[in-house]
Amino acid sequence: MLLEAPRFVLPETLAEALAARAERPEAVVVAGGTEVMPDLLWRNRTAAGFLSLRRVAALRGTTTDGGDLVIGAGTPVAALTTAPDGGLRAAASSLGTPLVRTEATIGGNVVSALPYRNLLPTLLAGGATLELTSAAGTRVVPFDGFVTAPGVTGLREGELLTAVRLPAHVGFADYAKVGRRNAQFVATVSAAVVSRDGVARLAFGNAGPIPLRSDAVDTAATALLDGQATADDLRSTVAAAVDPPEDAVASADYRRHALGVLAVRLVTRAAVDAGLGS
Amino acid sequence: MTAVEDPRPEVAGGTDGPDSSVTFALTVDGTAHEVTARWDESLLTVLRDRLGVRGPKTGCAHGRCGACAVKADLGDGGHVLCSCLVPAATAAGGTVETIASIGGPDGALSDVQEAFLAEGAVQCGICTSGFVTAATELLDTNPDPTRTEIEAALYGNLCRCTGYGRIVAAVETAARTRRGDA
Repeated sequence: MLLEAPRFVLPETLAEALAARAERPEAVVVAGGTEVMPDLLWRNRTAAGFLSLRRVAALRGTTTDGGDLVIGAGTPVAALTTAPDGGLRAAASSLGTPLVRTEATIGGNVVSALPYRNLLPTLLAGGATLELTSAAGTRVVPFDGFVTAPGVTGLREGELLTAVRLPAHVGFADYAKVGRRNAQFVATVSAAVVSRDGVARLAFGNAGPIPLRSDAVDTAATALLDGQATADDLRSTVAAAVDPPEDAVASADYRRHALGVLAVRLVTRAAVDAGLGS
Repeated sequence: MTAVEDPRPEVAGGTDGPDSSVTFALTVDGTAHEVTARWDESLLTVLRDRLGVRGPKTGCAHGRCGACAVKADLGDGGHVLCSCLVPAATAAGGTVETIASIGGPDGALSDVQEAFLAEGAVQCGICTSGFVTAATELLDTNPDPTRTEIEAALYGNLCRCTGYGRIVAAVETAARTRRGDA
Protein backbone atom coordinates (compact mmCIF):
# COMPACT_ATOMS: atom_id res chain seq x y z
CA MET A 1 0.00 0.00 0.00
CA LEU A 2 1.23 3.46 -0.85
CA LEU A 3 -1.11 4.96 1.72
CA GLU A 4 -3.54 3.56 4.24
CA ALA A 5 -5.69 5.90 6.31
CA PRO A 6 -9.06 5.36 8.00
CA ARG A 7 -10.91 6.86 5.04
CA PHE A 8 -8.43 6.58 2.18
CA VAL A 9 -6.53 3.65 0.80
CA LEU A 10 -4.06 3.75 -2.08
CA PRO A 11 -3.10 0.23 -3.20
CA GLU A 12 -0.25 -0.41 -5.61
CA THR A 13 -1.09 -3.97 -6.68
CA LEU A 14 -4.29 -5.71 -7.73
CA ALA A 15 -4.05 -8.05 -4.72
CA GLU A 16 -3.89 -5.05 -2.39
CA ALA A 17 -6.82 -3.44 -4.21
CA LEU A 18 -8.98 -6.58 -3.93
CA ALA A 19 -8.15 -6.96 -0.24
CA ALA A 20 -9.08 -3.31 0.32
CA ARG A 21 -12.32 -3.79 -1.64
CA ALA A 22 -13.31 -6.68 0.61
CA GLU A 23 -12.32 -4.84 3.78
CA ARG A 24 -13.94 -1.53 2.89
CA PRO A 25 -17.23 -2.22 1.11
CA GLU A 26 -18.45 1.26 2.06
CA ALA A 27 -15.61 3.08 0.28
CA VAL A 28 -16.21 4.68 -3.11
CA VAL A 29 -13.90 3.16 -5.71
CA VAL A 30 -12.25 6.02 -7.56
CA ALA A 31 -9.81 5.84 -10.48
CA GLY A 32 -9.22 9.16 -12.24
CA GLY A 33 -11.61 11.06 -10.00
CA THR A 34 -13.03 13.04 -12.91
CA GLU A 35 -16.61 12.12 -12.05
CA VAL A 36 -16.41 11.47 -8.32
CA MET A 37 -14.73 14.73 -7.34
CA PRO A 38 -17.34 17.02 -8.97
CA ASP A 39 -20.10 14.79 -7.56
CA LEU A 40 -18.76 15.31 -4.04
CA LEU A 41 -18.26 19.02 -4.64
CA TRP A 42 -21.86 19.43 -5.77
CA ARG A 43 -23.15 17.00 -3.13
CA ASN A 44 -24.58 14.71 -5.81
CA ARG A 45 -23.30 11.88 -3.68
CA THR A 46 -21.73 11.27 -0.33
CA ALA A 47 -18.81 8.97 0.33
CA ALA A 48 -17.56 7.27 3.46
CA GLY A 49 -14.05 7.08 2.00
CA PHE A 50 -12.03 6.42 -1.11
CA LEU A 51 -10.46 3.27 -2.48
CA SER A 52 -8.25 4.75 -5.20
CA LEU A 53 -7.12 2.51 -8.06
CA ARG A 54 -5.04 5.29 -9.59
CA ARG A 55 -1.68 3.80 -8.63
CA VAL A 56 -2.38 0.16 -9.55
CA ALA A 57 -0.09 -0.05 -12.57
CA ALA A 58 -1.36 -3.53 -13.52
CA LEU A 59 -4.76 -2.05 -14.38
CA ARG A 60 -3.33 0.40 -16.90
CA GLY A 61 -2.50 -0.37 -20.51
CA THR A 62 -3.76 -2.29 -23.51
CA THR A 63 -2.78 -5.70 -24.85
CA THR A 64 -4.20 -8.16 -27.37
CA ASP A 65 -5.27 -11.69 -26.56
CA GLY A 66 -6.72 -14.17 -29.03
CA GLY A 67 -8.26 -11.51 -31.26
CA ASP A 68 -9.50 -9.37 -28.38
CA LEU A 69 -8.25 -5.91 -27.54
CA VAL A 70 -7.81 -6.16 -23.75
CA ILE A 71 -8.01 -2.75 -22.11
CA GLY A 72 -7.05 -2.50 -18.45
CA ALA A 73 -9.84 -0.83 -16.50
CA GLY A 74 -7.46 1.88 -15.29
CA THR A 75 -6.36 2.81 -18.80
CA PRO A 76 -6.87 6.53 -19.32
CA VAL A 77 -9.31 7.57 -22.02
CA ALA A 78 -6.48 9.59 -23.62
CA ALA A 79 -4.79 6.31 -24.55
CA LEU A 80 -7.95 5.18 -26.37
CA THR A 81 -8.01 8.21 -28.69
CA THR A 82 -5.52 6.31 -30.88
CA ALA A 83 -7.12 2.87 -30.47
CA PRO A 84 -7.33 0.66 -33.57
CA ASP A 85 -11.12 0.47 -33.20
CA GLY A 86 -12.70 3.46 -34.97
CA GLY A 87 -15.73 3.55 -32.68
CA LEU A 88 -13.66 3.50 -29.52
CA ARG A 89 -11.38 6.16 -30.98
CA ALA A 90 -14.27 8.48 -31.83
CA ALA A 91 -16.02 7.97 -28.49
CA ALA A 92 -12.80 8.54 -26.53
CA SER A 93 -11.79 11.60 -28.56
CA SER A 94 -15.09 13.36 -27.84
CA LEU A 95 -15.04 12.71 -24.07
CA GLY A 96 -14.39 15.81 -21.95
CA THR A 97 -11.18 17.67 -22.73
CA PRO A 98 -7.54 16.60 -23.21
CA LEU A 99 -6.86 17.51 -19.57
CA VAL A 100 -9.77 15.32 -18.41
CA ARG A 101 -8.93 12.42 -20.72
CA THR A 102 -5.49 11.95 -19.18
CA GLU A 103 -7.14 10.98 -15.89
CA ALA A 104 -10.61 9.66 -16.81
CA THR A 105 -10.50 5.87 -17.22
CA ILE A 106 -12.46 3.35 -19.27
CA GLY A 107 -13.30 1.51 -16.05
CA GLY A 108 -14.82 4.61 -14.49
CA ASN A 109 -16.84 5.28 -17.63
CA VAL A 110 -18.24 1.74 -17.60
CA VAL A 111 -18.90 1.29 -13.88
CA SER A 112 -20.47 4.75 -13.46
CA ALA A 113 -23.01 3.30 -15.96
CA LEU A 114 -24.97 6.44 -16.75
CA PRO A 115 -26.89 6.25 -20.04
CA TYR A 116 -25.04 9.17 -21.66
CA ARG A 117 -21.51 7.88 -21.00
CA ASN A 118 -19.45 8.09 -24.20
CA LEU A 119 -17.85 4.67 -24.34
CA LEU A 120 -20.91 2.53 -23.62
CA PRO A 121 -22.62 2.42 -27.06
CA THR A 122 -19.29 1.52 -28.65
CA LEU A 123 -18.75 -1.36 -26.23
CA LEU A 124 -22.31 -2.62 -26.79
CA ALA A 125 -22.13 -2.41 -30.58
CA GLY A 126 -18.71 -4.04 -30.56
CA GLY A 127 -19.77 -7.00 -28.42
CA ALA A 128 -17.40 -6.20 -25.55
CA THR A 129 -16.96 -8.43 -22.53
CA LEU A 130 -15.82 -7.46 -19.04
CA GLU A 131 -13.35 -9.07 -16.68
CA LEU A 132 -14.71 -8.85 -13.13
CA THR A 133 -12.22 -9.89 -10.48
CA SER A 134 -12.56 -10.68 -6.79
CA ALA A 135 -10.38 -12.56 -4.33
CA ALA A 136 -12.16 -15.72 -5.58
CA GLY A 137 -11.00 -15.20 -9.17
CA THR A 138 -12.07 -13.60 -12.43
CA ARG A 139 -15.32 -14.06 -14.31
CA VAL A 140 -15.93 -12.75 -17.81
CA VAL A 141 -19.40 -11.39 -18.58
CA PRO A 142 -20.89 -9.74 -21.66
CA PHE A 143 -21.16 -5.96 -21.44
CA ASP A 144 -24.67 -6.43 -22.84
CA GLY A 145 -26.75 -6.80 -19.69
CA PHE A 146 -24.05 -5.56 -17.26
CA VAL A 147 -25.79 -2.23 -16.74
CA THR A 148 -29.19 -2.90 -15.13
CA ALA A 149 -30.34 0.66 -14.39
CA PRO A 150 -28.77 4.14 -14.57
CA GLY A 151 -25.67 3.92 -12.38
CA VAL A 152 -26.36 0.30 -11.41
CA THR A 153 -24.33 -2.68 -12.65
CA GLY A 154 -23.96 -6.39 -12.06
CA LEU A 155 -20.72 -5.85 -10.14
CA ARG A 156 -20.86 -8.03 -7.02
CA GLU A 157 -19.60 -7.27 -3.54
CA GLY A 158 -15.84 -7.56 -3.40
CA GLU A 159 -15.48 -7.34 -7.18
CA LEU A 160 -13.60 -4.85 -9.29
CA LEU A 161 -13.82 -4.33 -13.04
CA THR A 162 -10.28 -5.17 -14.10
CA ALA A 163 -10.42 -5.18 -17.92
CA VAL A 164 -12.64 -4.51 -20.90
CA ARG A 165 -12.26 -6.91 -23.85
CA LEU A 166 -13.29 -5.67 -27.27
CA PRO A 167 -13.21 -8.15 -30.17
CA ALA A 168 -10.83 -6.84 -32.80
CA HIS A 169 -12.69 -6.86 -36.08
CA VAL A 170 -11.95 -6.19 -39.69
CA GLY A 171 -14.67 -3.81 -40.70
CA PHE A 172 -15.99 -0.40 -39.91
CA ALA A 173 -16.77 1.06 -36.49
CA ASP A 174 -17.78 4.58 -35.59
CA TYR A 175 -19.51 6.66 -32.93
CA ALA A 176 -21.46 9.91 -33.02
CA LYS A 177 -23.29 12.01 -30.48
CA VAL A 178 -25.31 15.19 -30.36
CA GLY A 179 -25.52 17.67 -27.53
CA ARG A 180 -26.72 21.14 -26.79
CA ARG A 181 -23.53 22.80 -28.00
CA ASN A 182 -20.44 21.89 -29.98
CA ALA A 183 -17.82 22.03 -27.22
CA GLN A 184 -17.36 19.96 -24.05
CA PHE A 185 -20.85 18.52 -24.14
CA VAL A 186 -22.54 15.56 -22.55
CA ALA A 187 -24.44 13.47 -25.08
CA THR A 188 -28.11 14.27 -25.40
CA VAL A 189 -28.14 11.04 -27.39
CA SER A 190 -25.38 8.95 -28.92
CA ALA A 191 -24.96 5.98 -31.22
CA ALA A 192 -22.29 3.53 -32.31
CA VAL A 193 -22.06 1.24 -35.31
CA VAL A 194 -20.03 -1.82 -36.17
CA SER A 195 -20.30 -3.18 -39.68
CA ARG A 196 -18.56 -6.25 -41.03
CA ASP A 197 -19.30 -8.80 -43.73
CA GLY A 198 -22.30 -6.76 -44.84
CA VAL A 199 -23.98 -6.86 -41.42
CA ALA A 200 -24.52 -3.70 -39.37
CA ARG A 201 -24.96 -3.59 -35.62
CA LEU A 202 -26.03 -0.41 -33.82
CA ALA A 203 -26.15 0.60 -30.17
CA PHE A 204 -27.48 3.75 -28.54
CA GLY A 205 -26.79 5.95 -25.55
CA ASN A 206 -29.52 7.86 -23.68
CA ALA A 207 -32.08 5.95 -25.72
CA GLY A 208 -33.38 4.32 -22.54
CA PRO A 209 -32.29 3.77 -18.95
CA ILE A 210 -29.47 1.44 -20.04
CA PRO A 211 -27.33 1.14 -23.20
CA LEU A 212 -29.72 -0.10 -25.85
CA ARG A 213 -29.57 -2.27 -28.96
CA SER A 214 -32.20 -4.31 -30.76
CA ASP A 215 -32.31 -7.07 -33.36
CA ALA A 216 -35.03 -5.20 -35.28
CA VAL A 217 -32.81 -2.12 -35.57
CA ASP A 218 -29.85 -4.21 -36.72
CA THR A 219 -32.01 -5.92 -39.34
CA ALA A 220 -33.17 -2.54 -40.67
CA ALA A 221 -29.62 -1.14 -40.53
CA THR A 222 -28.26 -4.13 -42.44
CA ALA A 223 -31.03 -3.74 -45.03
CA LEU A 224 -30.14 -0.05 -45.47
CA LEU A 225 -26.46 -0.97 -45.78
CA ASP A 226 -27.44 -3.45 -48.48
CA GLY A 227 -29.70 -1.01 -50.32
CA GLN A 228 -32.75 -3.15 -49.49
CA ALA A 229 -34.39 -0.53 -47.26
CA THR A 230 -34.60 3.25 -47.05
CA ALA A 231 -33.35 5.69 -44.44
CA ASP A 232 -36.99 6.25 -43.46
CA ASP A 233 -37.35 2.54 -42.74
CA LEU A 234 -34.38 2.62 -40.36
CA ARG A 235 -35.57 5.84 -38.69
CA SER A 236 -39.01 4.41 -37.99
CA THR A 237 -37.54 1.14 -36.69
CA VAL A 238 -35.26 3.07 -34.34
CA ALA A 239 -38.16 5.25 -33.18
CA ALA A 240 -40.15 2.14 -32.27
CA ALA A 241 -37.24 0.43 -30.51
CA VAL A 242 -36.03 3.21 -28.21
CA ASP A 243 -37.50 4.52 -24.98
CA PRO A 244 -35.57 7.74 -24.37
CA PRO A 245 -35.78 9.82 -21.20
CA GLU A 246 -37.53 13.18 -20.98
CA ASP A 247 -35.61 15.77 -18.97
CA ALA A 248 -34.51 19.39 -18.86
CA VAL A 249 -31.97 18.78 -21.63
CA ALA A 250 -34.34 17.38 -24.26
CA SER A 251 -37.77 15.90 -24.78
CA ALA A 252 -38.25 12.20 -25.44
CA ASP A 253 -39.59 13.11 -28.89
CA TYR A 254 -36.45 15.06 -29.76
CA ARG A 255 -34.26 12.20 -28.60
CA ARG A 256 -36.28 9.66 -30.57
CA HIS A 257 -35.87 11.79 -33.70
CA ALA A 258 -32.15 12.44 -33.13
CA LEU A 259 -31.43 8.74 -32.54
CA GLY A 260 -32.89 7.97 -35.96
CA VAL A 261 -30.75 10.69 -37.53
CA LEU A 262 -27.59 9.31 -35.89
CA ALA A 263 -28.47 5.74 -36.92
CA VAL A 264 -28.84 6.72 -40.56
CA ARG A 265 -25.71 8.87 -40.42
CA LEU A 266 -23.57 6.03 -39.06
CA VAL A 267 -24.95 3.38 -41.42
CA THR A 268 -24.36 5.76 -44.34
CA ARG A 269 -20.74 6.17 -43.23
CA ALA A 270 -20.43 2.39 -43.00
CA ALA A 271 -21.85 2.05 -46.51
CA VAL A 272 -19.39 4.60 -47.88
CA ASP A 273 -16.54 2.80 -46.11
CA ALA A 274 -17.63 -0.47 -47.70
CA GLY A 275 -17.87 1.18 -51.12
CA LEU A 276 -21.61 0.61 -51.16
CA GLY A 277 -22.84 4.17 -50.99
CA SER A 278 -21.81 7.73 -51.52
CA MET B 1 11.35 16.83 4.06
CA THR B 2 9.88 19.81 5.86
CA ALA B 3 6.47 19.91 7.46
CA VAL B 4 4.61 22.92 6.15
CA GLU B 5 2.84 25.26 8.47
CA ASP B 6 -0.73 25.45 7.26
CA PRO B 7 -1.16 28.97 5.85
CA ARG B 8 -4.95 28.74 6.16
CA PRO B 9 -5.85 26.46 9.08
CA GLU B 10 -9.58 27.11 8.57
CA VAL B 11 -9.49 25.58 5.09
CA ALA B 12 -12.65 23.73 4.07
CA GLY B 13 -13.60 22.51 7.51
CA GLY B 14 -10.06 21.65 8.57
CA THR B 15 -9.55 17.90 8.79
CA ASP B 16 -12.69 16.86 10.73
CA GLY B 17 -10.64 15.04 13.32
CA PRO B 18 -7.89 12.46 12.99
CA ASP B 19 -10.07 9.83 11.24
CA SER B 20 -10.72 12.17 8.33
CA SER B 21 -7.16 13.16 7.67
CA VAL B 22 -4.50 11.69 5.43
CA THR B 23 -0.81 12.45 5.60
CA PHE B 24 1.47 11.98 2.64
CA ALA B 25 4.62 13.23 0.96
CA LEU B 26 4.35 15.52 -2.03
CA THR B 27 7.03 17.38 -3.94
CA VAL B 28 5.85 20.66 -5.44
CA ASP B 29 8.12 22.70 -7.70
CA GLY B 30 11.14 20.90 -6.29
CA THR B 31 10.24 21.40 -2.63
CA ALA B 32 9.40 18.32 -0.56
CA HIS B 33 6.37 18.64 1.71
CA GLU B 34 4.57 16.47 4.20
CA VAL B 35 0.90 17.24 3.67
CA THR B 36 -1.96 16.59 6.07
CA ALA B 37 -5.33 17.08 4.40
CA ARG B 38 -8.90 15.83 4.45
CA TRP B 39 -9.21 12.47 2.69
CA ASP B 40 -11.48 13.89 -0.04
CA GLU B 41 -9.60 17.10 -0.71
CA SER B 42 -8.52 17.90 -4.27
CA LEU B 43 -4.92 18.39 -5.29
CA LEU B 44 -5.84 21.98 -6.19
CA THR B 45 -7.10 22.69 -2.66
CA VAL B 46 -3.96 21.21 -1.15
CA LEU B 47 -1.72 23.25 -3.45
CA ARG B 48 -3.47 26.57 -2.96
CA ASP B 49 -4.95 26.44 0.53
CA ARG B 50 -2.59 24.17 2.42
CA LEU B 51 0.75 24.80 0.72
CA GLY B 52 0.14 28.38 -0.40
CA VAL B 53 1.07 27.56 -4.00
CA ARG B 54 -1.12 30.00 -5.91
CA GLY B 55 -0.03 29.52 -9.54
CA PRO B 56 -2.84 27.06 -10.34
CA LYS B 57 -6.15 28.92 -10.22
CA THR B 58 -9.59 27.86 -9.09
CA GLY B 59 -11.90 28.41 -12.05
CA CYS B 60 -14.77 25.97 -12.46
CA ALA B 61 -13.47 23.33 -10.00
CA HIS B 62 -14.87 20.51 -12.12
CA GLY B 63 -12.50 19.99 -15.01
CA ARG B 64 -14.00 22.26 -17.64
CA CYS B 65 -11.79 25.35 -17.66
CA GLY B 66 -8.18 24.20 -17.18
CA ALA B 67 -7.21 27.13 -14.95
CA CYS B 68 -5.91 24.63 -12.38
CA ALA B 69 -3.73 22.70 -14.88
CA VAL B 70 -0.44 21.40 -13.50
CA LYS B 71 2.03 18.77 -14.59
CA ALA B 72 1.90 15.89 -12.13
CA ASP B 73 3.77 12.61 -11.93
CA LEU B 74 1.61 10.07 -10.11
CA GLY B 75 4.05 7.26 -10.70
CA ASP B 76 3.41 7.13 -14.44
CA GLY B 77 5.92 9.57 -15.88
CA GLY B 78 3.85 12.71 -15.56
CA HIS B 79 1.45 14.69 -17.69
CA VAL B 80 -0.71 17.78 -17.51
CA LEU B 81 -4.02 17.34 -15.72
CA CYS B 82 -6.73 19.29 -13.93
CA SER B 83 -5.63 19.42 -10.29
CA CYS B 84 -9.23 20.09 -9.21
CA LEU B 85 -10.22 16.57 -10.29
CA VAL B 86 -7.44 14.64 -8.56
CA PRO B 87 -8.02 13.45 -5.00
CA ALA B 88 -4.85 14.89 -3.45
CA ALA B 89 -3.80 11.76 -1.61
CA THR B 90 -3.61 9.77 -4.86
CA ALA B 91 -0.49 11.83 -5.52
CA ALA B 92 1.22 10.41 -2.40
CA GLY B 93 4.95 10.35 -3.00
CA GLY B 94 4.48 12.05 -6.34
CA THR B 95 5.67 15.30 -7.83
CA VAL B 96 3.83 18.36 -9.09
CA GLU B 97 5.22 21.07 -11.32
CA THR B 98 3.14 24.23 -11.45
CA ILE B 99 3.61 27.33 -13.56
CA ALA B 100 6.41 28.26 -11.13
CA SER B 101 8.48 25.40 -12.58
CA ILE B 102 8.00 26.64 -16.14
CA GLY B 103 9.69 30.00 -15.63
CA GLY B 104 13.19 30.41 -14.22
CA PRO B 105 13.80 30.41 -10.45
CA ASP B 106 14.67 34.12 -10.52
CA GLY B 107 11.41 35.10 -12.18
CA ALA B 108 12.77 34.72 -15.71
CA LEU B 109 10.05 33.90 -18.20
CA SER B 110 10.02 30.83 -20.42
CA ASP B 111 9.80 31.11 -24.21
CA VAL B 112 6.07 30.37 -24.04
CA GLN B 113 5.51 33.04 -21.40
CA GLU B 114 7.51 35.56 -23.44
CA ALA B 115 5.39 34.75 -26.48
CA PHE B 116 2.16 35.25 -24.48
CA LEU B 117 3.41 38.72 -23.51
CA ALA B 118 4.63 39.60 -26.99
CA GLU B 119 1.36 38.56 -28.65
CA GLY B 120 -0.92 40.20 -26.09
CA ALA B 121 -2.37 36.83 -25.10
CA VAL B 122 -3.01 37.82 -21.49
CA GLN B 123 -6.00 39.84 -20.38
CA CYS B 124 -7.38 39.26 -16.88
CA GLY B 125 -4.85 36.47 -16.36
CA ILE B 126 -6.81 33.86 -14.44
CA CYS B 127 -6.58 31.35 -17.31
CA THR B 128 -2.99 32.16 -18.21
CA SER B 129 -1.07 29.72 -16.04
CA GLY B 130 -3.27 26.90 -17.29
CA PHE B 131 -2.86 27.92 -20.91
CA VAL B 132 0.91 28.27 -20.57
CA THR B 133 1.09 24.87 -18.84
CA ALA B 134 -0.94 23.15 -21.59
CA ALA B 135 0.93 24.97 -24.38
CA THR B 136 4.32 24.08 -22.88
CA GLU B 137 3.30 20.40 -22.73
CA LEU B 138 2.22 20.58 -26.38
CA LEU B 139 5.51 22.11 -27.57
CA ASP B 140 7.54 19.66 -25.49
CA THR B 141 5.87 16.76 -27.32
CA ASN B 142 5.18 18.36 -30.72
CA PRO B 143 7.61 21.14 -31.65
CA ASP B 144 5.89 21.97 -34.93
CA PRO B 145 2.14 21.86 -34.26
CA THR B 146 -0.44 22.90 -36.82
CA ARG B 147 -3.07 25.45 -35.87
CA THR B 148 -5.58 22.60 -35.58
CA GLU B 149 -3.25 20.71 -33.24
CA ILE B 150 -2.78 23.82 -31.08
CA GLU B 151 -6.54 24.33 -30.85
CA ALA B 152 -7.04 20.65 -29.98
CA ALA B 153 -4.36 20.76 -27.27
CA LEU B 154 -5.90 23.88 -25.72
CA TYR B 155 -9.49 22.60 -25.96
CA GLY B 156 -9.60 22.05 -22.20
CA ASN B 157 -8.58 25.61 -21.35
CA LEU B 158 -11.17 28.36 -21.35
CA CYS B 159 -10.56 32.10 -21.65
CA ARG B 160 -13.58 34.23 -20.80
CA CYS B 161 -11.93 37.42 -22.02
CA THR B 162 -12.37 35.92 -25.54
CA GLY B 163 -8.66 35.91 -26.21
CA TYR B 164 -8.21 32.66 -28.14
CA GLY B 165 -6.85 34.28 -31.31
CA ARG B 166 -3.96 35.91 -29.47
CA ILE B 167 -3.33 32.78 -27.40
CA VAL B 168 -3.06 30.53 -30.48
CA ALA B 169 -0.82 33.15 -32.11
CA ALA B 170 1.39 33.10 -29.00
CA VAL B 171 1.80 29.34 -29.18
CA GLU B 172 2.67 29.59 -32.88
CA THR B 173 5.25 32.28 -32.05
CA ALA B 174 6.74 30.20 -29.23
CA ALA B 175 6.96 27.20 -31.55
CA ARG B 176 8.78 29.25 -34.21
CA THR B 177 11.16 30.69 -31.60
CA ARG B 178 11.87 27.27 -30.18
CA ARG B 179 12.58 25.85 -33.63
CA GLY B 180 14.89 28.78 -34.30
CA ASP B 181 13.07 29.99 -37.39
CA ALA B 182 11.70 33.16 -35.85
